[in-house]
This record gives sequence, C-alpha cells and structure tokens, in this order.
Amino acid sequence: MTPTLPPPDDKTSDTSMSRRNFLRGAAAFGGLTALAASLAPLRQLEDFSSSEQFLQKYYKELTPDDMTKVIGRIEREVQKEYGIRPHVRDLKPMDGVEFVYCLNLTRCIGCRKCVHACVNENNQSRNPEIQYIRVLKMPHGSMDVEKGDHTYEAKSVPEKGFFYMPVQCQQCQNPPCVKVCPVNATWQEKDGITVIDYDWCIGCRYCEAACPYWARRFNFTKPEIPKERLNPNMAYLGNRPRKQGVMEKCHFCIQRTRAGKYPACLEVCPVGARKFGNILDPESEVSYIMREKRVFIQLKEEMGTSPRFFYYFDK
Amino acid sequence: MSKDTVTQYWLGALTVVFLGLGGFFIVNSAARPAAGKEIPLVDVKFLDRTASRRTYADLVKANEDLSDYDCYGCHEKGKPPPIRYDANQKIIVPKEHSDVVMGHGSHDRNNLCYNCHNEQNLLTLQVRDGREVGFDNIPQLCGSCHGPNLRDWEAGAHGRTSGYWDRSLGTADRLSCANCHNPHAPRIPTRESAPAPHSLHGPAGTSSPHETTH
Repeated sequence: MTPTLPPPDDKTSDTSMSRRNFLRGAAAFGGLTALAASLAPLRQLEDFSSSEQFLQKYYKELTPDDMTKVIGRIEREVQKEYGIRPHVRDLKPMDGVEFVYCLNLTRCIGCRKCVHACVNENNQSRNPEIQYIRVLKMPHGSMDVEKGDHTYEAKSVPEKGFFYMPVQCQQCQNPPCVKVCPVNATWQEKDGITVIDYDWCIGCRYCEAACPYWARRFNFTKPEIPKERLNPNMAYLGNRPRKQGVMEKCHFCIQRTRAGKYPACLEVCPVGARKFGNILDPESEVSYIMREKRVFIQLKEEMGTSPRFFYYFDK
Repeated sequence: MSKDTVTQYWLGALTVVFLGLGGFFIVNSAARPAAGKEIPLVDVKFLDRTASRRTYADLVKANEDLSDYDCYGCHEKGKPPPIRYDANQKIIVPKEHSDVVMGHGSHDRNNLCYNCHNEQNLLTLQVRDGREVGFDNIPQLCGSCHGPNLRDWEAGAHGRTSGYWDRSLGTADRLSCANCHNPHAPRIPTRESAPAPHSLHGPAGTSSPHETTH
C-alpha cells in the first residue's frame, strides 16, 4: 500500500500562511516585543505617583480640608511602605518668630554627631547616603573653605592644628535657590525657613546648582531608610520620606522647631557648640550671642545671600 | 528582483533585528540600575544625646547610690585631711582617690584640693572668699573663677541645652558644668569621630586632595 498524499492545495497555503504574511506577522511580533522590552525599566518604578498625588494642588493653594486628605494619603503610604503609622503634621510658621542658628567655632570638635543625629531625625536615605551637614576640617589660621576637607576619618578628634566648621543650609534671607526654581516648589517662609514641597518638585536640580553652600541634596534613587530607624514624627514640609527624583535639604528640623523644640543637631552636640532660637526675642540665646559675642561673617558673605546661620568665637 | 521580493527581504531583516534587540533588552543587565555598595548603619553610640557625665544633683534626682559623696564614712569630722606633695610640688593623690586625675589648670599650678573643696566640711565646696557652695550648685563655684563662662552659661550661650526653645510650650533642660567637664580635669577629652560620608564613587576619602594633611 502506498500512502496517497493529498494534492497540494495552492489556495489554502496561499491564504493561511504565505511567506509574506509570516514575515509581516513576525516583524509585528518582534517590534512589539522590542517595545515591551525597552519599556521594561518602568516596572522598577514601583513608587509611581498615585493619581491622588498627581492631581494634588500646589501647597499654598491647599485648603485645610485638602491638607487633611493629603496628610491621610502620606500616612497611608508610609504605613504601607514601612509598616509604621507616622504622625504627619503641617506645621505653620509661628507669629513673631524668626529663626537664627549660631555655631561656636571655638567649641566644635568635629565629631560629626550632628551629621548622624540629623540623618536619624529627618529620615534621609542611608544608601546612597544623603546628609544635610558637612563638617569641614580646616587648618588653623585659615578661613578658606577651599582648604576644607569633609571626608576626614579620625580615631581622635579634634586633631592638632585644625578646626572644624559644620556647614548646612544657611537659611538665607536672599536665597538663590528659591529664585531659580522654575515651579516655585521651594520658597522662604516668614519664620526664615526655606522649605521644599516634595510633591511639587520636578527634580531639575537648578536649586542645587544655585546654592553657594552645597546645601541641597538630590535623591538619585529611591531613598533607603531602615524601618527600625524611621522617625514617625513627621511634617509635610519637613522629614516625611521623599521619593526618587526630588530635592531635599536642612529645614531647621521644622517638625521640632515649629513645635517649640530645639533641632536634633543641637541636642546631640556633646560640647554645646550649637545654639538656636528666635532672633526677634531679645531674651533668646541667639540674641545674646549676636549682642555679646564675636560673631564673624555670614559664610560667603560676598554672595549677598545674607544667611541666618552665624559662626562665632568664644575667645 | 521584483519589488515584492525586496520588501520581503527588508521585512525579514527587520524581524531578525527587532527580535535580536528584544532579546538583548530582556537579558541585558546594564539596562537595570546597578546595585549600590553596602553602607553599614551608623553606630547608635553616635546618636546618643545623654550627658557624658553625671553630677551629684543627677544622682540625687535619680535617687541613686551617693556613697561616693559620703566623705565622713572614712574621714574624721573636724580634722581636715592633710595634702602631701612630692619633691616637684606635685600633689600625691592618695590611693583611696586614685580615680582623681589632677588636670585642672596648666603647669600643675592648681594643685590644692581646698581651692574648691571645703576643708572644714568635706560635704560642701567653697569659693576662695569663704562662701560655702553645695555639690548641687557647682556653677556658682566654677563661676567664681570662670566668670565669663558663668555669664554665658546663664544666658544660655555656653553649655548643652535640650528640650524647648519656646519656654511657653515646654521646659528646656540645661546641663550643669560637671555634666560635660570633669572638675579635676576639665578639658573636654578627645573622642572618635563618626564615620565620614561614603562617596558614591570609590571609598570615603579618596575624593579629597587633602588626605595627606594628617
């Protein structure tokens, strides 16, 4: 018996799968695959803004009701991410208060405790590291920040022949960072603190370039904060966790100072070199220092930024 | 070659290219963010906000063991303990007080215990004009020599503070002289510095041209 093959049916093969159709289909499939693959990195954007956040209004346009909703959303998001229910507040500047920071260069020993107390208080990213305070080690007899070294490692500080100068946001009266922001996501409040709305920032980093003190930091990646080190006492314009792609900087611990407390860097300083208070109150520590002490320059005074951060000496 | 054949070849080539690119994007690890290097969490000792020393007043407040201040447990009342010096006029610290380091003032000039302690009543201190000062009121004693520091401390410009800057909302906790200074050796001791910032590129310190300075 010989098997009989069915006669080739030109018609069927031509309509169901011609060479041309196969190639067209394959090209379309290949193209779509390539498109999908090229979009694959988007899958890693897990903290893609929620529609609520995307549609949120500008901070200064939010009504108290809106703000309650926004705070509810932030609390939900933080709880989802870290498993801790935070206490988020929108603290407003107090009447008759203008903050000033004074730092005693005679006392500072360069131990960097302020740097890490700040990171701990303000929920900064631990990896990559974001730190608001840089401690410059400078040789005695010089005030040249170009000679400053902020990467020193020492088993024992202070080292002979050096003094230390911590630099952080100077809360300028004439802040260049605010002028360059194309979307008004950063502005100066009436108590002197320059704040950032992390939900309004577009991450252009103009402010980072404009700041003469290198005080602003950018979140190049999603910030990494260990759950056990998360500070649940948060403020909207302060230490609530940031997203990838936004700026941040020292805000004089808004969540503490606008509730009447001292900033975290001040409380941790083992030598009492840091002083903070209301310059409009003549009885405050900072008023006394400005009156009685040898207060030197505002740092980089020639820039015309007029900082609210002053350095002074004892002797 | 007919027009159709050319188109077919083109489409075939494009299919291969697209499939290849698709495969490349899927397996290519360079398209993903590189994993950062490990940065250890900072030691909690650098976050400690408590005072480095505890004063008599702290011990009283915490209701703790005050046996160190029970002078007349060993000494006899009304009989000032004698002070012995070696040939260089350096004080010989008795072994019962071996924890006392004589380091107040330069050149060992401040070497008389009764410059501060009250020889008539060891339970109190005295300033040089004879005023008695309690162990719980040391700023008055220290300020009798260090006037400008007492003035600054009273104004809040010297020393450590915590709590509320706005005294209408809460109290501020002001540390006393001996919370930071050892009265027998008041210079603040040196300490270990907290870790330097870890740079994104290379180990900490390599970015600085001034590393050779120490």
